[in-house]
Amino acid sequence: MITRRRLLASSLLPFVFAGGTKAAAASATQAPWLNWSGYLRAEPAGRVAPGSTEELAAWLAETSGKVRPVGSAHSFSPLVPTKGHLLVLDRLSGLDSLLAASSEAVFHAGTRLSDTGQPLWQAGQAMFNLPDIDRQTIAGALATSTHGTGARLQSLSGYVSGLELVTASGEILVLDAGHEFLPAAAVSLGALGVITKATFRNRTPFRVRTRTWVEETTTILDKFDQYSREWQHFEMMPLLHSDYALAIAHQETEAELQPPAEPDDDSLLTLIGATPVPLRGALINSLAQTVEPTESVQRSYEALTNVRMTRFNEMEYSVPADVGADCLLEVMRAVAENAVDVVIPLEYRIIDADDTWLSMFTGSPRVSISVHRLAGEDFNPLFNLVEPIFWKYGGRPHWGKWHSLGHSELRALYPKFDDFTRLRQELDPAGRLLNPHLAKLFGVEA
Amino acid sequence: MQSFRLWGSGNNLSSWEQCYAVYMRILVVSLLLMTAGCSREPQSIDPERLELYTEIYAGADMTPAVQEKWARSCALCHAAGVGGAPRVGVKADWQARVDKGPGMLMVNTIDGINQMPPLGYCQDCGLDDFAAMIKFMIGDAG
Repeated sequence: MITRRRLLASSLLPFVFAGGTKAAAASATQAPWLNWSGYLRAEPAGRVAPGSTEELAAWLAETSGKVRPVGSAHSFSPLVPTKGHLLVLDRLSGLDSLLAASSEAVFHAGTRLSDTGQPLWQAGQAMFNLPDIDRQTIAGALATSTHGTGARLQSLSGYVSGLELVTASGEILVLDAGHEFLPAAAVSLGALGVITKATFRNRTPFRVRTRTWVEETTTILDKFDQYSREWQHFEMMPLLHSDYALAIAHQETEAELQPPAEPDDDSLLTLIGATPVPLRGALINSLAQTVEPTESVQRSYEALTNVRMTRFNEMEYSVPADVGADCLLEVMRAVAENAVDVVIPLEYRIIDADDTWLSMFTGSPRVSISVHRLAGEDFNPLFNLVEPIFWKYGGRPHWGKWHSLGHSELRALYPKFDDFTRLRQELDPAGRLLNPHLAKLFGVEA
Repeated sequence: MQSFRLWGSGNNLSSWEQCYAVYMRILVVSLLLMTAGCSREPQSIDPERLELYTEIYAGADMTPAVQEKWARSCALCHAAGVGGAPRVGVKADWQARVDKGPGMLMVNTIDGINQMPPLGYCQDCGLDDFAAMIKFMIGDAG
């Protein structure tokens, strides 16, 4: 039985809220809130951007009403929209402290991932793995178990060894390594409180050799286990309506830095641009065989994360690794048979198991399969087509990406889901941190 | 058979976008048609919204607080022109945009346009903040 007293007794810091609330940054004229793709929109009552954990705690203690924390707005699921106040974490940013002996680092939770690599490198540390997009905040990435790829690598949440969290009522909790509720807070959808600091287990800095090549999708699937053993980070991007996929692999190396080549500028564009869409598969198949592999050597944080310039909406499910290939092929067949006119490649990655309560990878390794539509396109036909296929294979939805599941389905997918729901109720009995989406997930009233 | 590379691995683009470039080179025409609705400015803007934004823009001033917000949001792309973002104070980058009027500049900032996400990564900015930051970045082009 989880009790509020039990949790607070083990983690409450003796912070004193005396001194009054220092006014957090607020704007005179409210703008609407939209997510990165522009699909989600809200008209929050206000925005609060605290400059410290104590300031945030005091504000929460002295106010009431709905609140939702926001990172960099990269989620496609409606975790953030609220008619209450948005808690913006941008001012809680930067490297807080280093624990050299244990190779750990404490970051303020509003730090963008793009701002972690260099300071860690200078301090003799590096994250084990990083996700593809680097503009997310640490708080947002952890809230949704954001991940990269690698058969022996976990999602970001798997490397968390400590968290500082402010509850909806303004209590500051510190969950150290070994705390029984750290595995719950490491992936919390922003529903247990507002994460303000995160401690990561890191490693020594490393360079990676990156190799990309094109190969038949079924061949890559046949060799996927082999490739995943040979490369620390391996993923594939199947080109829909074709037989080919792009393989991307990274391996630690001692080699000298070798910057990626600049893209070619060739006149092929004009020639093939006028080709009718129905010939797409044959064209891609033909062209794919002429694609040269690329190689580069970069620092890990430069090679593994990227600036994503093309905006889109995304659905991603993670299925048990042993059925990943079957699931992927069924998705590809469904898209082809229904002639869905989608040009963005699928994404197929593998992530090792962790022991958090709500990570998509809790309990066993899984492969994640992502489908995308360009921002502004109607994604419903594609997402509605493939989502039941993911369910058939026991898929768990990425918390930050579009899905339609509710409480009853999610309970069946996560052994600790009811425990999390009880903990959430203990920490936020008034449901201050709930919005309609979270209420649906946890089976409660918003 | 002529050998050519369909994408490059540099340019700070993600591997996903490198892959996307394959399609871009194959499907230029169809892709242009499909993306037309998401990359262009909206066909019609509520006149009252434009008027409000223009009014806010006229009264906006850069302050140290807004400068701090700019440094952690707009600067991510506009300092170096990432993804084709108009660079701070570079008249040639801004002139065509300035010609659309301040109201439209504000609309595109709030709603996002092309590769720029809505709100330009400033989650705690108000309309007055956005106006001040746009003014600051335009510089002499205004």
